[in-house]
Amino acid sequence: MSAKLTDRSQQDFGLSPEVACQVRDLNVTYRVDGRELSALREVSLDIRQGQITAVIGESGSGKSTLALALMNAVSSPGRIASGRVTYRGLGEVTGMRGEELRRIRGKAISMVFQASQNSMNPLTRIGAQLLDLARSHDLPNPRAVLREAGDLASRMSLDADRVLTSYQHQLSGGMRQRVGIIFGLVLKPEILLMDEPTTALDVLSQSSVLEIVRSIQRERQLTTVLITHDMGVVAELADRVVVLYAGRVVEEASTAELLRHPRHPYTRSLIQAIPRLTGDPGDAKALEGQPPSLASVPNQGCVFRERCPYRMDVCETILPSFRFDGDGEHRFACHYEEARHD
Amino acid sequence: MIEVKEITKIYAATGGMLGQKPVKALRGVSLTLADGEAISLIGESGCGKTTLGRIIAGLEASTSGDLVFDGTALSTLSPRERHAKFQQVQLIQQDPYGALNPARPLGEALADPLRLQAKRLGKDASWVQMRAKELLQLVGLDPANTLYKYPHNLSGGQRQRFVIARALTVEPKVLIADEAVSMIDVSLRLGILSLLSDLRSRLGISVVFITHDVAAARYVAPKGMVCVIYRGEIVEYGATDAIIASPIHPYTQALLSAMPVLRGLEEPGPDRYIPAQDLDLRLDDEGGCLFRARCRFATDRCAQEHPPLVTVDEGRRLHSCFYPEARHVVAVPIEGASL
Ligand SMILES: Nc1ncnc2c1ncn2[C@@H]1O[C@H](COP(=O)(O)OP(=O)(O)OP(=O)(O)O)[C@@H](O)[C@H]1O
Ligand SMILES: Nc1ncnc2c1ncn2[C@@H]1O[C@H](COP(=O)(O)OP(=O)(O)OP(=O)(O)O)[C@@H](O)[C@H]1O
Ligand code: SF4
Ligand code: SF4
Ligand SMILES: [Mg+2]
Ligand SMILES: [Mg+2]
Repeated sequence: MSAKLTDRSQQDFGLSPEVACQVRDLNVTYRVDGRELSALREVSLDIRQGQITAVIGESGSGKSTLALALMNAVSSPGRIASGRVTYRGLGEVTGMRGEELRRIRGKAISMVFQASQNSMNPLTRIGAQLLDLARSHDLPNPRAVLREAGDLASRMSLDADRVLTSYQHQLSGGMRQRVGIIFGLVLKPEILLMDEPTTALDVLSQSSVLEIVRSIQRERQLTTVLITHDMGVVAELADRVVVLYAGRVVEEASTAELLRHPRHPYTRSLIQAIPRLTGDPGDAKALEGQPPSLASVPNQGCVFRERCPYRMDVCETILPSFRFDGDGEHRFACHYEEARHD
Repeated sequence: MIEVKEITKIYAATGGMLGQKPVKALRGVSLTLADGEAISLIGESGCGKTTLGRIIAGLEASTSGDLVFDGTALSTLSPRERHAKFQQVQLIQQDPYGALNPARPLGEALADPLRLQAKRLGKDASWVQMRAKELLQLVGLDPANTLYKYPHNLSGGQRQRFVIARALTVEPKVLIADEAVSMIDVSLRLGILSLLSDLRSRLGISVVFITHDVAAARYVAPKGMVCVIYRGEIVEYGATDAIIASPIHPYTQALLSAMPVLRGLEEPGPDRYIPAQDLDLRLDDEGGCLFRARCRFATDRCAQEHPPLVTVDEGRRLHSCFYPEARHVVAVPIEGASL
């Protein structure tokens, strides 16, 4: 088994050098009241090697579902209906099962979960859980994992000894979130998925958690997927942004480009709705309406049309395909011509 | 008008990570909330914002100090009279999901407090119906589409609107909104913030807005006041815009510095500085400035003397730092980069 993995680690599986993970035509459904409802539709994207890619979207847009699908960890009543997720050095994961998957998860690809306390065992001290994690991946020297965790803890301005001997309920929200990140990093993964790593933290804890992620990512050239609904977090951390709406990618660009020249009406509204510290508060505009539920996502036409100020007849019937801008580095799915300009 | 006078709150020792020491959640907080005014309480997690909100709403007793409602000190009233006074103050809780009973239709959740109100005012059942519709419209919900639903049928933003409508059933003079938008999507926040602002200007309701996001405070009341709390103590107080543009206290500066910068649209403020240390509630900083362990401007004096809250700017501003200096820490918009 491990021989097979070592062999693979040298292979690129057809990915170009700058791509760490390629997602193609990914469809994920949840079975609700006997109906298969789509939570992700035709999602295709390239996650770049050594960069932080953010996935932003409203509640229910499919962010967590995407994170799970990236690890082939969507569980019943959900399933990956079709599509491929291919990693450099690992191969295509949607077809993997059992032991093969278990070895990849946590080791090559690791995930920091939304509200990360849920992934910790309340009855076991943090240190003992780290040892368990090391053993479950058959690491020759589990103690080394504790040492690594201690180092990470100190870098995160935590008292390492105290944290490792604590139970989760003895830690504050900010400390718990940092411990979640320690778990995500301690096995030195190549790819780190983080689902809302700072939601529920106050601004000061958020800023220190972001700083930690930034410095470790730089140092290790870690390919990172950051899932969030907060444009501020994206702006502070991400190299690229993928905007998700009702299970579809509607725009993707570098962070600076997306903030300065958003093309999709949804992205624009999202940026305009951010409460800002400076400027005229009257300039901010609330995004009217609310996102569709799984059952009410339109099956044809543009998914955003119910809330779109630029909606046209064509938007009712024809799904907008991607248009490109900026050397093909910026893509957006919208029929509106002026979306290209101003 | 509500005056908060020297309120302290000490929670008895609970063990756990704070050891066996009692928690000083509030250490003598005084402030005044005029009719129709808005005050934002800001500070990081654990600094005592919720505790202060709950005390003003009568949901928690203070250890010492007093509340004065329109000139009447509540300590002089009987429990029954006090209860009547607290009816004027409604608290909207931190968690919009926990605030509603999932098994009760929304129409019922609204009718319950309205029936009590009807009894008090001598109104009949049709008044309850009419008022329910009025309140839902006021918060931007469609009555026909809401009354028969259950809490889980609403989005986060709609649920928060509903919770606000329910708080309005008793016609309060004061709304305390505890992190009213931190649990809901960024895209829906602005709507709730302008609703609070609207209620203030249309109904003359005062708002106590509890948050760690200073930007949100501007949208509730551009002309409102901000009160910065650190470890149970007011460290700075002033007009929202003044506090944002030129914070004086190093703690206020830290909070504002920590606000994410929208790189591409904004650049970090020239004096931006975020302390490396976390708030450590176990630190015993008695005797000196409570912020000194995290303050880069601290001197020996800060360890020995406790800086008092002093008035500056002809009374418009309060702060408690021995070395006051206004700094520009918030992000600067990039010229021509707005949408
Ligand atoms: N186990 C499940 N059963 C049925 N539907 C589900 C399940 N999990 C998620 N969904 C639905 O799939 C859609 C996408 O959910 P997902 O959790 O991926 O959204 P999200 O973008 O992460 O939202 P949030 O910001 O609230 O975390 C939502 O409409 C959600 O209701
Ligand atoms: N019932 C209680 N028993 C013991 N300690 C308490 C109790 N309620 C609050 N505290 C403590 O009092 C302090 C202030 O808590 P409070 O909830 O008012 O903070 P907050 O500013 O609202 O924080 P957050 O932003 O996390 O909501 C904290 O140290 C908290 O742990
Ligand atoms: S395709 Fe049409 S409805 Fe969709 S975002 Fe563009 S203009 Fe709006
Ligand atoms: S009094 Fe001293 S320690 Fe306290 S905030 Fe001012 S400079 Fe810092
Ligand atoms: Mg999620
Ligand atoms: Mg609170």
